[in-house]
Amino acid sequence: MTLKVRTLACAAIGFAIALVHAQTGNPENFRVPVVYYKLPNGLRVVLSPDHTAPTVVTALYYRIGFRVEPKDRTGFAHLFEHMMFQGSRNLGKMEFIKLVQQNGGMLNGSTRFDFTNYFEVLPSNKLETALWAEADRMKGLAITDENLKNQQGVVGNEVKVAVLNRPYGGFPWLYMPQYANTNWYNAHNFYGDLKDIQAATLEDVQKFFKTYYAPNNAALAVVGDFEPEAAKAIVEKYFAQIPKSDLPPQPDLTEPRQETEITATRKDALANRPGLAFGYHMPARNTPEYFAMGLLDQMLVQGDDSLLYEEVVKKRGYAGEISGGINVDLGNMFDYNGPMLWTAYLIHDPNVTDAQIMGAVDDVMDRLQATPVDRSLLDRNITKMRAGLYDEMTQLGGFGRANLLDCFALFDDDPAKINALDMNFGSVTPELIEQTARDYLRKTNRTVLMVEPGAPQSAKPASAGAGR
Amino acid sequence: MTRKFGCIATFVAILAFGHQQQKETPPAGGPPRPFHLAKTDDFTLPNGMRVTLVPYGVIPHVSVRAFVDAGGVNELANQVWLSRLTALLMKEGTESRSAEQIADAAADAGGRLEIDAGVEETGIGGVVLSDRAAAFIALVADVLQRPLLPASQVERLKSDLQRELAIAKTQPDMVARERFLRTIYPDSPYGRLFPAESELKGYSAGDVAAFYKNNFGAARTHLYVAGKLDGGLRAVIQSAFGEWQAGPAPVKMSAHPVAAHSFAMIDRPGAAQSTLYMGLPVADPTSPDYIPLDVMNALLGGSFASRITSNIREQKGYTYSPRSLIATDHHLAYWAEIADVTTSVTGPSLKEIFYEVDRLRKDPPSDSELKGIQNYLAGLFILRNTMSPDALIQQLRFVDSQGMSRAFLTDYVQKVIAVKPQDIQRVAEAYIVPSKMTIVVAGDRAKIADQVKPYETAAP
Repeated sequence: MTLKVRTLACAAIGFAIALVHAQTGNPENFRVPVVYYKLPNGLRVVLSPDHTAPTVVTALYYRIGFRVEPKDRTGFAHLFEHMMFQGSRNLGKMEFIKLVQQNGGMLNGSTRFDFTNYFEVLPSNKLETALWAEADRMKGLAITDENLKNQQGVVGNEVKVAVLNRPYGGFPWLYMPQYANTNWYNAHNFYGDLKDIQAATLEDVQKFFKTYYAPNNAALAVVGDFEPEAAKAIVEKYFAQIPKSDLPPQPDLTEPRQETEITATRKDALANRPGLAFGYHMPARNTPEYFAMGLLDQMLVQGDDSLLYEEVVKKRGYAGEISGGINVDLGNMFDYNGPMLWTAYLIHDPNVTDAQIMGAVDDVMDRLQATPVDRSLLDRNITKMRAGLYDEMTQLGGFGRANLLDCFALFDDDPAKINALDMNFGSVTPELIEQTARDYLRKTNRTVLMVEPGAPQSAKPASAGAGR
Repeated sequence: MTRKFGCIATFVAILAFGHQQQKETPPAGGPPRPFHLAKTDDFTLPNGMRVTLVPYGVIPHVSVRAFVDAGGVNELANQVWLSRLTALLMKEGTESRSAEQIADAAADAGGRLEIDAGVEETGIGGVVLSDRAAAFIALVADVLQRPLLPASQVERLKSDLQRELAIAKTQPDMVARERFLRTIYPDSPYGRLFPAESELKGYSAGDVAAFYKNNFGAARTHLYVAGKLDGGLRAVIQSAFGEWQAGPAPVKMSAHPVAAHSFAMIDRPGAAQSTLYMGLPVADPTSPDYIPLDVMNALLGGSFASRITSNIREQKGYTYSPRSLIATDHHLAYWAEIADVTTSVTGPSLKEIFYEVDRLRKDPPSDSELKGIQNYLAGLFILRNTMSPDALIQQLRFVDSQGMSRAFLTDYVQKVIAVKPQDIQRVAEAYIVPSKMTIVVAGDRAKIADQVKPYETAAP
């Protein structure tokens, strides 16, 4: 397998969700073992043993994502992620990668809205090797100008391959947040302007590391074939001595309530068919409405049984598929911590108008807002949720499970939440679905983004206008 | 660390550590824990359908995947994607279920029914909850045996495929790959990635019905079920598929790939990058040279720490995701290096790729470099066989579709470890021959024509 330091663009794994007790009853809900504690320096540690295979996942998450990066350095959080592979106290350039690979493992890192992660999947006897290496780079980087220039080239190429040199590049995952949000932290180009990426200096790298890469700003999950007591001893040995740091206060990330529908059009010189995306601001995390939106996502756009698939694809034939989700293409409904969108999108033929498609969408949304859904429809989507979570938890030999545990530790200080999800989703009623659809799937909470084939007039999305 | 860079770099700025210090040696970890491939339960129904059950894991879900020998190789030259249209139409209803009922039944099992056709086979199945697996298997059986293939849905699905085709032709990676395959597999289904728009428009419900009738049946089908299995699935499968007719016998197509120098440029004016797709046919998985080639590939360009990736990404910064691979079909394989490189360094990228190929063809790698790659492949093998139910099935399907013994899997690690440095050099020299390569470059012709000139003619 090729293992790139893959990031943003391709980082999104399908979606994933919850353990639910549907009305049909499920005799074997899978309980995730969770051992959770903190080191005195603040490092959050989650251990989840599973002896199915002799492999182990180590996943270190830092609570710094692209949302909060220096304002004159768009794309910096992601560039910095690349620098974490360029050399630390005991491992020179390429040595970290070689260490993991030569021990029979794979590794990667990615940058998301609210965290940057680094993980390894290895034969389980190499747990200590992986933790030693992660601790080494938490202690400090050793990077040259040459390394930085090299990775500025690599990251520039990443932006080109994922966005600039392909049709529909950045649609909708990179662009939708820029139109739908108003707070800079949520609305800037987080892949980065190439000029900003090139302007970064070693001092920027050093400052960012000192500010955010500390044990009290991180969570470490270990999933797989190990004994918790042995793992605890290894974690203590390598991480306990790393000093904590003074973290800056989190900036205000809030978005004002949206009261008017936003529409925007982007030209895409490489595309030959129009694209259409529509996004709605999500309810706050962990509220009943948030869990209802998770089920609405399932109901609306996940699977051939979903309402928008039936209406837009099958009945009206406007597109061959419709895709979407919460935190679309950059994660799932659990791995973020701030304002978020539910977004759906499709590509269609020019003989179908955006108004026709949005008319079909409105028909579906109107139905959801007019009357509670059938209990059987709700149960089916609770089942899809549960199955989706099982699939997610098996991703990459348990990395998907580590992802959830790390996020629940970092954002909620409660990784055991993973076992409460069935109750959270199971508590959603048809009435709550209806109410949530009314409150959040309203047109005035919506941004519609259209892609038109043709040469762009302006590369900046600042021309987004309100109303239509 | 500090010493290393202090000696070689002109400007060195060290973050966080200003003092030279002794490097620590990474801890080696304990002895490896034993690994055993999951045991399979294989049987054949009286109608010839093969079945493989793989009980595995603790998470209560299963992957159900049937593979039918029906794909591009079974199409006529002017029927490209007819197999795909057939696959799409199969979801549109059976004798006893509407399309909506099929979708709902799959969702009630916790999954979705996925069907698509590739060049050699049609895959149908999904991942569902363990306690709903029996119902999902019955659904798969129904769709495979009793599809309505309704004419009413043909035009809609054809326009979906036309849109997909139009979009694919704007994607640099797709057009480069298409040209590459067309060049090394001339006049062969393996070289037909895209249909002509006009021929796609012409397919009828009758064409689909004929394709289904001529290519679907128990004798061409192998069903795999992997994951946490509830009891009684064997009886479920026997009952769901027992009445299916054997149908047509499998047909294997032989292909004669071209190993000769060629160069093609696909002009993409204004492109920020050039997309490179370059390679040639190599020994297929049934050859004794395949595993040495596999190891050679991982060392040359098929892993993060490989030579080409280290060179054009980590030293030069020309590209983000370069990779080499060995792509296999039935008793067929080609090696390719694929990379999207910044336009201004298209020529230098080609130069470095050939430099690394030449270097490996001339000198065997060191023992330690090879050992590192062997360890990598041995570890990866465990992951590939345990990561998920689908990953398990993929491994088994690879072996079965080549008609090989499952011993390929049980012996794999041992054979990887047995490869010697001179074997790497030998297979590189024998197979990765620059003068026989097909080189495709999709990029801005005006900016790269001069850069790529040296590669338009065969290397001496």
